[in-house]
Amino acid sequence: IGCEDGSVKIFQVVPGGIQFERNLDRRKGRVLCLSWHPSDTHIVAGSIDFFRVIDVTSGQTVQRVMVNHHVEKAKRECVVWAIALLSSGTVVSADSFGRVQFWDWEQGTLAESHTVSTSAVLSLAVSQKEDSMIVGTSTGATYHLQLLPVRLGGLEKRWVRTKPFQFHSHDVRAVAHSPTALISGGLDAQLVIRPLMEKVQKKSYDAALRKFTFPHRRLVSCARKARLLLFQFSQYLELWRLGSTEETGKDGEVLPLCRMPEHLVQLKSKGPEHIYCSSISPCGTWLGYSTASRFQLYRVRCDGDSVSLRKVPKVPKLLPPAYQLQFSANSESLFVASARGSVHVFQLLEPGGCKHLHTLRPPSGCSEAVYLLAPSADGHWLAAVSGDWAIHIYNLKSFKHHCVVPNYDCAVSALAIHPSTNNLVIAYSDQQLFEFSIPERQYTSWSRAVQSRGLHRAWLERDSPITHITFNPKNPSHILLHDTYLLCVLDKSLPLPDDSALLMNQSTLKQLPETARKRQLHAFKICKKFQPLLFMDLLDKNCLVVVERPIMDFKTQLPLPVQQKKFGT
Amino acid sequence: PRGLRLPRGARASWAGVTAFPPRRYLLYASGDFVKVHSVNTEETVGLLCGHADLVTDIQLNPHNHMQLYSSSLDGTIKLWDFMDGIPIKTFTVGSRLLALYALASAEDSVFVVIPKKGERDTFQLVSVKLTKGAGQDLEGKELSVVLDGVGASPKQIAFGREDSYVVSVKDVNLQVYFFKRKLLNRFSLSTAKTKGGDNRFSCVVCHPKEDCIATGHADGKIRLWRNFHHKKAYTYSALHWHHDIVMDLAYSLEGTRLLSGGVESVLVQWHNESSCQKDFLPRLGSPIECISMSSDGVLCCTLHTDNRITIINSNLRFSRSIQGLIKSRDVKTGLVVDPRTKALVLNGEPGHLQFYSLQSDQQLFSLDIVQRQYIHQAGLKQSDLVKVAFSARGTWLATVEESEEVADPELQLKLWFYSEETQSFALNTRINTPHDNHITDMCFRDMDELGDDSLILVTTGRDCVFKVWVMVGDSDPEAHQSVSWSCDFVGSYHNYQATNCCFSEDGSLLAVSFEETVTVWDSLTWDLKCTFCHPPGNIRNICFGRLTCSKYLIGATDYGFLCCWNLLTCALEWSAHLNVVVLQPDPLSEHIAAVSWLSKESSLFVFKPSEPWPVYIQRNLCKEKILLAAFVPRDEPEMISSEKYLWLRKSQLFFLTDTQELMTLSAKSLEERLTPSSKQLAVEESLPVTPFSVLLGKHRRQQAQEDTDLGKPVVHNRQEQASPAVKELLHTPAHVLPSASFLCTIFINSLLISKENKSAEEVADEVEMESEKAEDESDEEDVTAMEQEDTSPMELLGEMTCKLSKSQEKELRKIRKMDYSWLSAF
Repeated sequence: IGCEDGSVKIFQVVPGGIQFERNLDRRKGRVLCLSWHPSDTHIVAGSIDFFRVIDVTSGQTVQRVMVNHHVEKAKRECVVWAIALLSSGTVVSADSFGRVQFWDWEQGTLAESHTVSTSAVLSLAVSQKEDSMIVGTSTGATYHLQLLPVRLGGLEKRWVRTKPFQFHSHDVRAVAHSPTALISGGLDAQLVIRPLMEKVQKKSYDAALRKFTFPHRRLVSCARKARLLLFQFSQYLELWRLGSTEETGKDGEVLPLCRMPEHLVQLKSKGPEHIYCSSISPCGTWLGYSTASRFQLYRVRCDGDSVSLRKVPKVPKLLPPAYQLQFSANSESLFVASARGSVHVFQLLEPGGCKHLHTLRPPSGCSEAVYLLAPSADGHWLAAVSGDWAIHIYNLKSFKHHCVVPNYDCAVSALAIHPSTNNLVIAYSDQQLFEFSIPERQYTSWSRAVQSRGLHRAWLERDSPITHITFNPKNPSHILLHDTYLLCVLDKSLPLPDDSALLMNQSTLKQLPETARKRQLHAFKICKKFQPLLFMDLLDKNCLVVVERPIMDFKTQLPLPVQQKKFGT
Repeated sequence: PRGLRLPRGARASWAGVTAFPPRRYLLYASGDFVKVHSVNTEETVGLLCGHADLVTDIQLNPHNHMQLYSSSLDGTIKLWDFMDGIPIKTFTVGSRLLALYALASAEDSVFVVIPKKGERDTFQLVSVKLTKGAGQDLEGKELSVVLDGVGASPKQIAFGREDSYVVSVKDVNLQVYFFKRKLLNRFSLSTAKTKGGDNRFSCVVCHPKEDCIATGHADGKIRLWRNFHHKKAYTYSALHWHHDIVMDLAYSLEGTRLLSGGVESVLVQWHNESSCQKDFLPRLGSPIECISMSSDGVLCCTLHTDNRITIINSNLRFSRSIQGLIKSRDVKTGLVVDPRTKALVLNGEPGHLQFYSLQSDQQLFSLDIVQRQYIHQAGLKQSDLVKVAFSARGTWLATVEESEEVADPELQLKLWFYSEETQSFALNTRINTPHDNHITDMCFRDMDELGDDSLILVTTGRDCVFKVWVMVGDSDPEAHQSVSWSCDFVGSYHNYQATNCCFSEDGSLLAVSFEETVTVWDSLTWDLKCTFCHPPGNIRNICFGRLTCSKYLIGATDYGFLCCWNLLTCALEWSAHLNVVVLQPDPLSEHIAAVSWLSKESSLFVFKPSEPWPVYIQRNLCKEKILLAAFVPRDEPEMISSEKYLWLRKSQLFFLTDTQELMTLSAKSLEERLTPSSKQLAVEESLPVTPFSVLLGKHRRQQAQEDTDLGKPVVHNRQEQASPAVKELLHTPAHVLPSASFLCTIFINSLLISKENKSAEEVADEVEMESEKAEDESDEEDVTAMEQEDTSPMELLGEMTCKLSKSQEKELRKIRKMDYSWLSAF
């Protein structure tokens, strides 16, 4: 860890925490970035106007290199924002003058200097093979640098700035280099994955540019019966009561509200930690959230207009705290996803208490934490997804492990258990959909039909994964899915579309006569009206709640981007 | 003999001659020629002529930097010794050659771009094996195709480091062919034009030391490609400054700097492939078309769309420019000859009048007439110069400018006086709206003898009148500012539109054509003297005959008739059926040139008004339509041996085609023009003082004295002739000189004062002329008869040269017998 006072501290990672080992040579100047040599013998620390190379074993600074040479405006300080130490002994420094420089640290000489931008270079990442790197700048542009042979077939190689990418509007604070993609994250709240086409073997999900603005997690939870919505922000929670209307109208009409939506309470978490997960019980009387270190449970009381929150005392201490919280359908128990594949079951006691009931663990053991939970409506089953993408199903009556869903090598993005059939519907991040019958412990015939036939190409090529699944209580064959861009009603009773058919055919269907419409119908009924879509749930048979988060809402809250002159303006 | 394209700047290429480091030569293809320009002396030192069509590309011989390859549309590759201007070899390939590449690695072959057989608009890059033969003319028919589907422009192909690969770009495709591995890689960019982007390639260059390809694009991007031997792992970065198409790119010698240019008229220098480090050389005047680097990397030059070459130092400083004839959008003024400088005057830059010296192929100066800022924008109505006229001695210049608006042309007539002090034209009078509609023609009364007082300007307009403008005010000729011009007389005829006007040689008569009718007016009393017409058809051109033929008036009509009226009898003398486009009288002789346009070819007819049959016919002068012609008086009458070209003695005829090619008619055949080319290399005057130079200097001074003593132009001419003999002796390379015994007589002869005698050739000419007069032809033009006539002088020509050499030999023998003992005194 590099410190503001110029020291570099070495910590040892021990099970369950870190342990201070020693201080390395302390010099004046803030340490802004650090990089280990791949062999762990040296560490390089970047500060203002210089960087230094420290021998880890002796703790001594073996080289100090000034980086602000060859700059006319040297009066300004040159901040080394990012640094990397390559196995060849080359130090790559990225500084606030927009330069990426390559140094031989033993000689202290500059090998190459690339002025990639007129603004500061903030971040840098080198690929595993050390033949390619990505740098992020404060204008939002990222640049790709590659180690290329100067002459074809020759041995002499040189770093060359190749492709620039402008995906961000603000500072690119973090970059990463995977074997097949460049990943950058910026102050504009976007994560961009740019695949390297030459490394991608076939055209697949990986071969397209991905932009993520919203986390693929549930940030909103809904108390169906109480008609409450809980919004999770990074430092606080907000509880809202939904408005309602008594009128009905046609498609496309906006109905007048008889009760306005109401902001009930804002709950700020203590300390600087971000809220990791939150949930509200279906009855709307329990509310829980968890940060990196603490788990809190509250009792919500609504007496007419006044709302009171009371912290539930003596909540069992959990270490580490929850990765996911989920209340049972009858609001009598709380499931807490925890590390090593375990799920804790708490019993909620009236008027305000809870008791640890049981801990569910996969029989074979698991090293990864559980990140998704899905209880069944009848309170019989619980499906839990751990980080190794295995889906375990537990019987809640006997607190026994029931079965494991056959392994599919992809991350699960959403899952839900059908209230009437107890079929588990699973959405994977590669857009595949499965239906698994829990009682029969096998995939349903519909799921097999889907797999043998394959999903529509346009469906598979979508950008964002399904983040939530619910079911239509009126029609058991309807599955409601949504991702950031679309809301889909999957009707299992209708035939699947083939690649030649139009996937998003709702607007064309509307114009067709009744008979022709019948022929054109297929299982996917997609609505793209809501963008970006954060949450969707059915309140009751006739009521659907949809949470939209317009991008402009938080774009306007961002700080001003770096001023750039644009040609023609 | 054929229409000859005149040298005008075209694709330029550099030659930094390493053998003599202080001297650098700029070589550039210019029309049918290649010009050798000395950078040190800023003079054109040589002209390589020999190609029969447009020279498309030139390349220095990589094995001998004193030699140059050139390719032409005539299907030949020529290897030149450009220092001496001698063609060394000619390789005939057969098809049109559009680009040429000479490589250091391939000693016996060059690469050319030729059209693919059987397919239109597809081109291929082929390598031509240059056979080693003894003769000068060799066949280059051994072709092997290297790349298919390449672009036609030389800028779209480049050879990589050590010639190990070749890159070709076309549309959005880039292909790289590796010679050793025989590997062809193709890369395509997307054709979609998103966000104003346009990925089409415009040009390509290769890094001289590294494997890097730089490509220019239609949207102004420059892409630098690397790793292109991998089909997938190739990569490129982009540099973007230009807002419009990148016209050309060039790497510096070491590849550390990249130069780019486009329509912005700014030369951009990129350092180390970084988009942040760049230098600019702005305000180069006009869009850059081509960039070329000298072989020693010290200079670079840019070729501009207005036919100008700019030489730029390596530190990106403007050094100098070579301005050829500016290609303007539309030559509305016609070709006018400035009587003072003998320069060709026509539209230049928008709103400017350019004075172009034909002798030096240089622009003398550009006169701003419209005096308004020209704004480059499509659809904007600009004011431009449409008519120009000079007074006989060039002291007055009249210009007419009008805006592009069809309905309401804002007309301005300006009169400029040549000021001796400032050596330029100064505005004297500006007349707003001289006519209510477009001005169709304008002429001065040409009277040398009477001085400025008799100057009259006549303008004709579509408003059905002609106006006579005279100088009024102070009669003192020195104070010209007090003189101004005003309208003196307005004439009209039956409310017809006035189309042409013309003064007779003595200035007493003015002919104005009104649609179908030609009216003749007395210039003193402005009485209508008589009218002529030759229906049907409007009069297209009129002119008076000159000298002995001044009693004739020539007119050409729309319906393809050329008529000659006798002013004394007021009757039609003769007429011929000919679709005359241009009618141009020679100011120094009776001859009138008429250019016709029939079945996609231009033909030239030269005739005297007194005789109904032409003096000279040149069919199929060129494929392009000739729009304008001008006779430019020669400084000295040229010695023309052939009777056929006697009419070219005093003046030279120039044409401007619709593609704005300036052409001339040369009396000499192609071969004749070639032989003396060795003489044309300029003499370096700074000779060290040696006994030999003293001899030479004396010889020269002697000549000069004789000139002043005798003071006769004819003699002067004779003396001038002798001097080249000495020059030839001294400046021809030793290995091509004839034996000393042969040269000695010529040299000695040049030192002698020759007697005033009529040369044999002149005698022969007279005989020829008489013989032609004896021929009696019918009034009607008979094409077949004319063709026969065409051949006869050719035969005679052969005999004549034979005779000439005999008489010369006699003279030489006489000289040999003389006593040379006096020479020992030197």
